[in-house]
Amino acid sequence: MKQFIFIHIILIALCSCGQNATKTDFEYPLQVGDITFDPEVDDPSFKLCDEERVLQYYNFGKGLQYKGEKPAINEYFLKSVPISGASDDTGYLTLRFVVNCGGKTGRFRVLGIDQGYSEREFSADLTSKLLKATRQLDGWVVGEYDGRVFDYYQYLTFKIERGKLIEVLP
Amino acid sequence: MRLILIVAALSIPVYAISQPNCEIYKSSNEPCYTACLLSIRATGPQGSRQSQKDFDAAIELCPSFDYAYFEKSVPYLKRGEFATWKKLIDKAVELNPIAHLGYRGWCKYQFLRDYRGSLMDLEKLESVMGDDIGYSMNGDYHLEIVKALCYKGIGDRQKAIDIIESQLSKPEYSPMPYDYLHLGIIKMEVGDVGGAIELLNKSIQYSEYLPDNYYYLGLLYKKQGMIAKSKSNLEKARAYYQKGYKRFDPYTHPMDQVFIADIERELQDFD
Repeated sequence: MKQFIFIHIILIALCSCGQNATKTDFEYPLQVGDITFDPEVDDPSFKLCDEERVLQYYNFGKGLQYKGEKPAINEYFLKSVPISGASDDTGYLTLRFVVNCGGKTGRFRVLGIDQGYSEREFSADLTSKLLKATRQLDGWVVGEYDGRVFDYYQYLTFKIERGKLIEVLP
Repeated sequence: MRLILIVAALSIPVYAISQPNCEIYKSSNEPCYTACLLSIRATGPQGSRQSQKDFDAAIELCPSFDYAYFEKSVPYLKRGEFATWKKLIDKAVELNPIAHLGYRGWCKYQFLRDYRGSLMDLEKLESVMGDDIGYSMNGDYHLEIVKALCYKGIGDRQKAIDIIESQLSKPEYSPMPYDYLHLGIIKMEVGDVGGAIELLNKSIQYSEYLPDNYYYLGLLYKKQGMIAKSKSNLEKARAYYQKGYKRFDPYTHPMDQVFIADIERELQDFD
């Protein structure tokens, strides 16, 4: 009985955290990876169908959805618009963004890590080239399920070794 | 409602280490028992604020509870926040290396093609466990085969061949669906055309409808000048692909995966 009361008290205490605007409420976004509109960097003309319900690309159970599938993305980044950076640009540069219910993209965010997975910034030149090229991708498939369309988060990770683009993931 | 179900299903970690049995803590460690219950509750709404806060609470109650660190890390991995993922999964590995090294090694390979990082984890696990290091979390591979694919990734194809052949020769090992496919592709890459054809035909015995088998056979027969055989295999690859038989991972792409564009490009040579 004592054990039950202890666990009950702990669970009540923990659940009640969510009812007040405590500091921890602001430590996490509503969902890991959420990107909120930032007027300083985001295009105000880029609209979402439902700000409250932006899915993840894998929620549709179809993997990455792009016209021409992964070969089209590889062809674009590795052949059509060859991209290179500085000699110390080694690691993984991830661009996370939203594909809206019309298949348009916006709200790009840059996340970089080195080979040891510590956060790092890549050269401004490489970052801007990858951002520009990714913004120009126009084959994203609209997230659709059961006749309804949804906004969703997508990311592309660029594996880079000494300024050379090796692979595009996922 | 159906969408909610599919989203919920995909939010439940596919890459899940088995759920812990909280009952083992019940009589001996109340804080860890509560942490365990909290973590299981938090696993459902993966990636939500409440879920992450529940994992924090669990960790505070039971700092040695590796499962909470592991589960907390998963949404960061799936959503491309690899720095945060790594900090959390490192903690899980530190607390329970046998449970999490294989998973971390697999994720480094599958999500980032970090071949050297993956090899470090898998070989460390092997040093503790012997060569029975388990399977990839998506169930496609024995981790020995993943090790081989990492060696291929860093250019050591002979070592990759040796590892796969050694694994396949073990009497207690049941081959997985793509073992012979990968071995056939690596043999093709080192120029052993006859060996590759033999292995890809064997691969068909394990995954009869997989277009990849027929695509690579088509390439090999083309190389040998056997045009009719090449064409028929590529056409078979296209037919199976169009029927929806293809390798699939909801989060990433498998190594050497074949797509319809690859097949069509090869078939154009016969036009």
